[in-house]
Amino acid sequence: MGFLAMDIFSNFIYAFSEAFRPENLLFCFLGVLIGTLVGVLPGLGPVATISILLPTTFTIKPEQSLIMLAGIYYGAQYGGSTTSILLNLPGEAASVVTCLDGYQMARQGRAGPALGISAFGSWIAGTASVVITMLIAPPLANFALQFGPPEYFSLMFLGLTVLTYLASGSMIRALMMACVGIFLGTIGTDIISGLERFTYGSYTLMDGLGLVPVIMGLFGISEVLVNIEQTMKKEIYKTSLSHLLPSLQDWKDSIKAIFRGTFLGFFLGILPGGGAIIGSFAAYAMEKRISKHPEKFGKGAIEGVAAPESANNSAAQGAFIPLLCLGIPSNVVMAILLGALLIQGIKPGPLLMKNHPDLFWGVIGSMYIGNLLLLALNLPLIGLWVQVLKVPYPILFPIILIVCVIGCYSLNYSLVEVAIMNIFGVVGYFMKKLEYEGAPLILAFVLSPMLENALRQSLIMSHGSFSIFFTRPISLIFIVVAIFLLVSPLIPGLQKRPKAAELG
Amino acid sequence: MRRDQISSLVWLIFAIFIGLESLRLPIGAWRDPGPGFLPLATGLLLGVLSIISYLQSRQGKLPAAKGSWYSKERWPKLMMVMVSLFLYILLWPVLGFFVSTMALLFFLFRIVEPQRWTVTIGGSILISLAFYGLFEVWLKTQLPKGLWGF
Repeated sequence: MGFLAMDIFSNFIYAFSEAFRPENLLFCFLGVLIGTLVGVLPGLGPVATISILLPTTFTIKPEQSLIMLAGIYYGAQYGGSTTSILLNLPGEAASVVTCLDGYQMARQGRAGPALGISAFGSWIAGTASVVITMLIAPPLANFALQFGPPEYFSLMFLGLTVLTYLASGSMIRALMMACVGIFLGTIGTDIISGLERFTYGSYTLMDGLGLVPVIMGLFGISEVLVNIEQTMKKEIYKTSLSHLLPSLQDWKDSIKAIFRGTFLGFFLGILPGGGAIIGSFAAYAMEKRISKHPEKFGKGAIEGVAAPESANNSAAQGAFIPLLCLGIPSNVVMAILLGALLIQGIKPGPLLMKNHPDLFWGVIGSMYIGNLLLLALNLPLIGLWVQVLKVPYPILFPIILIVCVIGCYSLNYSLVEVAIMNIFGVVGYFMKKLEYEGAPLILAFVLSPMLENALRQSLIMSHGSFSIFFTRPISLIFIVVAIFLLVSPLIPGLQKRPKAAELG
Repeated sequence: MRRDQISSLVWLIFAIFIGLESLRLPIGAWRDPGPGFLPLATGLLLGVLSIISYLQSRQGKLPAAKGSWYSKERWPKLMMVMVSLFLYILLWPVLGFFVSTMALLFFLFRIVEPQRWTVTIGGSILISLAFYGLFEVWLKTQLPKGLWGF
């Protein structure tokens, strides 16, 4: 027990000594600043922004690049609440439920406490998550050292299954997108045989289809195209923003909701396929269910703001655990971060903590500091963010498009990659219109090379027998859960999947 | 035919393409799968899923995609934005980054929701200059130069 406490204490010290290095602090600040800005701007989500800014991070050290990208991710969760409360327009998907009670509070002249509790709730959640991460990451990484190719294959299979299971539309279509992602991941030179696959003589494709053009196209360009089609109406609710600090009664009403939201969000964040969106919906649903006054929900209940806002923050951080400890991304943002690390030559996984302690603990420590910075950024600067909201989309979108093009081009100075990005932009647009989700495609695309390697190595190990996935206990558990999720829509009584949109 | 059915058929054609192209690669054996193994398996699975999706949508089991497929007044604008993006990169080697960006911005500011002329002209020049200064001058990104050397 004493050793454990010592370990945790020394990890704390190490994490903060890394995070407080001036250059790390700078990138953490940049990350949360950009993240908040993005969270505030409707029509530009964290996925799109991380994709757009991905190329710029390749020129800095991996540790700083991850710190900045992580800052964008959890910063956007903070910023998203501002637009939900003031405009009834979620800046990004994880803030959708905040609209329900947040906007009602704004209409009742209580926008200040709503913004205040969401900032404080997010900060408490972020802080608690960092502490839990420090407690569970080392044992989890140790456990994952026992994983061989069959376990990794089963775990990735489970991750893809959960993501398709939780897809908001048809599960069949989500599975189709996962297949397309796996196929796209096989394009390029096969590392085992050295044979070229689906390259058709293109030098650009020999190294595989680039992650950046695909992601920027599917999430950046396509989002702009969809937004152009819709006329965006913005009416900011004019309300007093002078009293941002929640009253004692507000605290009493929401403190328990904040803690419940934090824990639920964190554990949903860890689960493969989970993440901030599911976390916020589930926390709202739970609060409504256990509340003594469920009728107040949707009419300006402060718990209805506090719980999802805490949950989406802790989920955003919990999602780092499978990425950093197992090397498995649990959602699409983590898949992009995994791609970013791989491009930088770093393989996340159980050995990351041992081989790159500066990166692992630096990122964890920076999250804590990032949360403090966010609190400082959000409360005093809310007036500024409201001004940012007034930038008209017809001025904003051409700038976003050009940033995408330059970002994609500057990576390898290849116009072919820019063309690939544009093509995926158009594909992504049609996918959105036809309700095919991009998330399973990207997750499968990023995992595809690892999935294929693990599958081929497992089959070589077992001399061609698939029983290897069922005879090893850890692998068996993953496979059984995955199969259960796959067949559950066919079992009577279990047909209703917990779709994100229905949880509220 | 509903648009869900059409999209399922498009994916089915894509699956057949993947399957046929994978067969040109060594598939290997169970004990040592070759480079064509996973693409072939993926193509087959995608094909089966597309057929299920087609049948489900034909029987009305799949909820129809929500929202309008296209709006008459917005669709041409959207097409113009898509085409202008492709033209933009084709123009880079000829006109160079600076002039092509200015041209694209000018076009986009006028096309979707026409801005005032001062915003259109001033905005395209200023934003192009800002991008040029940020990426070419400060970050030393080697952006393509046109026939006139910038």
